Amino acid sequence: MSTTALGPALARKRVLICVGSGGVGKTTVAATLALRAAVEGRSSLVCTIDPARRLANSLGLSALGNAETRVPASALEPLGVTPRATLHAMMLDMKQTWDDLITRVAPPDQRERILANRFYQSLSTALAGSQEYIAMEKVWELRRRGEYELVVLDTPPTAHALDFLDAPNRVLDFLDNEAAKWLLAPAMKAGKLGLSLFNKSGYVLRGLSKFTGTEMLQELSSFMLSLSGMNEGFRERARGVRALLEDASTGFVLVTSPHPERMDEAIHFNTLLKQHRMEVVALVVNRVHPMPTEAMWKDVATVAPGRRDKVEQTLRELKVLAEQDRQGIAQLQAACPGIPLIQVPRFSLDVHDITSLWRTGRFLLGDDTL
Amino acid sequence: MWVVSGKGGVGKSTVAAALALRSARAGRRTLVCEVNTQERISRFLEHPAAGPEITLLEENLWAVDVRPQEAMREYGLMVLRFEALYKTVFENRLARYFLRFIPSLQELVLLGKIMFHLQEKLPDGRWRFDTVVLDAPATGHAISFLSVPQVLVQTVPPGPLSREAQKMRDLLVDPAVTAAVLVALPEEMPVNEALELHAALTDRVHLRTHAAVLNQAIPERFTAADLEALAGCPELRDVAQAHHDRAALTVLAGTKLERNLHVPVVNVPRLFLPAFGREAIEQVMGHLEALVMGET
Repeated sequence: MSTTALGPALARKRVLICVGSGGVGKTTVAATLALRAAVEGRSSLVCTIDPARRLANSLGLSALGNAETRVPASALEPLGVTPRATLHAMMLDMKQTWDDLITRVAPPDQRERILANRFYQSLSTALAGSQEYIAMEKVWELRRRGEYELVVLDTPPTAHALDFLDAPNRVLDFLDNEAAKWLLAPAMKAGKLGLSLFNKSGYVLRGLSKFTGTEMLQELSSFMLSLSGMNEGFRERARGVRALLEDASTGFVLVTSPHPERMDEAIHFNTLLKQHRMEVVALVVNRVHPMPTEAMWKDVATVAPGRRDKVEQTLRELKVLAEQDRQGIAQLQAACPGIPLIQVPRFSLDVHDITSLWRTGRFLLGDDTL
Repeated sequence: MWVVSGKGGVGKSTVAAALALRSARAGRRTLVCEVNTQERISRFLEHPAAGPEITLLEENLWAVDVRPQEAMREYGLMVLRFEALYKTVFENRLARYFLRFIPSLQELVLLGKIMFHLQEKLPDGRWRFDTVVLDAPATGHAISFLSVPQVLVQTVPPGPLSREAQKMRDLLVDPAVTAAVLVALPEEMPVNEALELHAALTDRVHLRTHAAVLNQAIPERFTAADLEALAGCPELRDVAQAHHDRAALTVLAGTKLERNLHVPVVNVPRLFLPAFGREAIEQVMGHLEALVMGET
């Protein structure tokens, strides 16, 4: 029986999104949550971004691809538990997912034109948050298909938290820009691409073209017109994605490490999630240095002198790290009042095999505590 | 120009701060650039945040946080020359809409501002900055950020944008001007990312890797005999074993970096200080001595 906030979340939520800075162990936390949910009886999918081959191997898969793959029961054998539901895993291929999306929503006669356009490739990465958007769009798609009771998303390392949360709005904003529509459409329909025809904004556009070159503006506007055919489908999905983020069955798991910078970023992220009225289920502080115990200090006295110095030095170093972490975590909790905080210790080696994932899970669910 | 990058959380800003401080101490006018972040470097060095304007932190050391809006404005003014014209163009809804959709324009102006300062001269003809240290984004973002000039040269029709991109690319690929310093930790993923980053910078950006920094290195301390002797105290043995494993990982990571990158690998030992500030940066700086001073 779980004692942390993640227990009820694993039992009830349909979507869990792990967010946080790069290098804090989001992928591990995401995989662990899906594993625990499957073991406890909910069919789960972990959708990861990080190409951690060893994580794939630890799940008994040779590699993770864009297709959802069932984790074989044999991979879970070392745990000595029999999962009561299936566990699936996939690694999101951003480019492929964008192509799939375009193929799905673009009118058949425009499809090839868009996919082959030289602006298309940079478009799918140029708009801030486009990677984040496509990841969430995938989850929305999975959720709609309803094959899994729980989908856990491991998000891309986000340079700016806002890119992530604003992604659906930005896509909607792009599609809904009235100004662009009325300026572009009539000229395009008349087959007149010359931007100089926009009398009203001629001055502006002349200035703009000094900056970009006229040819560039013309090519870009013709590309955007070819996109306009898919506006409705695209817009509907973007609205769906936005609604999914705010849905009561969706929860965010904010992952951080006890490093001061990472924690500052976590606080910032938490504030933004709150502003966007999205629910933070738990704040996971990963790789916390445990404080050396009293017993350890006592034992040191029994060690032979030459070795004692080495062990004492190591314990002193660990104590410094543990104290730093403790202070930081207290500040973090104070800055995020009301958010359940869960600590996972730093294990002696990187978490890569299934038993380490299981160990991480014991801390996430409160079976073990630091 | 030193471009410092690596996986998220490996200590890029720490290394960038230490490189910049050492360079300034050596009497070189040094500019350290962060790209649209919550400014860490000035904080590490215990100075007030520099902000989007170039700010003198201490002798020979300037800092700037390059931000998109300000960089776009500076660049726009440079091209359009008049404030009024800039306002008409850049504050127009339609124009802003277009600008947002020009692929990678934001990255281009950010990089453009940094490259501008790299070439800036004083009235007496000397470089305004002898050294520029760029605290670049993490691996994936760094690759797309630094590839922008190359990509634009290929995708954008000839015009002012592609001319600017061409100039920037020439500076990035010039081994006498620009080199990368890749930062990793003694763990599997950060090392693999450093190798991927090196491959992408070499093949796609044509940017030279100068050195790798293995941060938070753990020196060897416990011998096999030590571990055996501690068998009677299992908890202490675990502590010693963990230390021993991390030291072994440090050796492994160093070897892997050296063999694949063919550049010097500098170890920066893990620090055990109660707080992370100037003292930490100065200690890190001590370990980067050869890296900075080898390049006079």
